Amino acid sequence: MIARPVPVGYQGHYAGSVSRFVAFVIDLAVSSGVFSLALAAISYGVHVVTGHSVSWNRSTPLVAVLFVLWEFFYFGYSWAVSGRTFGMAALGIRVVGADGSVVEPRRGLVRAAVFPLSFLLCGLGFLGILVQREHRALHDLIAGTAVVYAWDARAARLRFLARQ
Amino acid sequence: MTDPAEVLAQQVTERVLDLVVSALDVNELAARIDLNFVLTNVDLNALLSRVDVNAFLARVDVNAFLARVDVKPLLDQVDVNELISHVDVNELVAQVDVNELVSRTDLGAAIVSSTGGMGAEALDAVRSQAVGLDQFVDRWVQRLLRRRHPAPPAPSALLPAQAEP
Repeated sequence: MIARPVPVGYQGHYAGSVSRFVAFVIDLAVSSGVFSLALAAISYGVHVVTGHSVSWNRSTPLVAVLFVLWEFFYFGYSWAVSGRTFGMAALGIRVVGADGSVVEPRRGLVRAAVFPLSFLLCGLGFLGILVQREHRALHDLIAGTAVVYAWDARAARLRFLARQ
Repeated sequence: MTDPAEVLAQQVTERVLDLVVSALDVNELAARIDLNFVLTNVDLNALLSRVDVNAFLARVDVNAFLARVDVKPLLDQVDVNELISHVDVNELVAQVDVNELVSRTDLGAAIVSSTGGMGAEALDAVRSQAVGLDQFVDRWVQRLLRRRHPAPPAPSALLPAQAEP
């Protein structure tokens, strides 16, 4: 990857679509991976205890419901506690209140609850990230949140200069 | 030939003067002199114009002079907080060329060794690339939407802090 100068002046600015999309992809991969590992662990436990093997079909309602609940916990807990998921932490972005204040746990949970709405409307809910002036998606507008850059760009810049 | 009487008169006069001077208490005499009155009649400018200051300073051993100065009580009288309050630190820092500073010192190596590993380096790169692409996409969207007025860059509570993160 080509090293480019660190954009120091963007901390606190509204995060753009690419950062948010990459963070979401990472979160989806991590949460799905953990979910699959959990299912495998349960299957192994059942096999050890009962001697019967259990196979999970992703299309069964039970697994689908468990997956939705798990995703709600993964995103809701992360946003409520720290304002960022694993993927968002990796990309250096954070959920804040619409005015930039630290996001309240209630808002984090509401954001996770209405997050599927942005998908259910044929993905149109995410269009706000591109065209809305504050880059807020539908679930941001409902929950009263926004996403900003929160990584320590100053330290990153010094590291960048030190490597030159 | 000198008149013997004149010689005698001179000797007597010198003797008398010696006696008078030795009898005088010079300190007492100096104490009675009104120095302010004397100094008002002195043209200091004219006096100083005749002094060769350079020649005077050339004879002064400044190091020896400074060695005799007790700096500590002098510094005790300085209100450092008051002094610093007059300094515009932002202006001062703005004049520092960070690139030059890092390149000329071991600060860079210290920063890398203390905060940077391969992970930090990779994260910096990914984040920088992502921010660059964010800006690229945003510029095109703004052009397509033909927005004339720029949107607020950050939420209101974060605006003061975003000047120089």
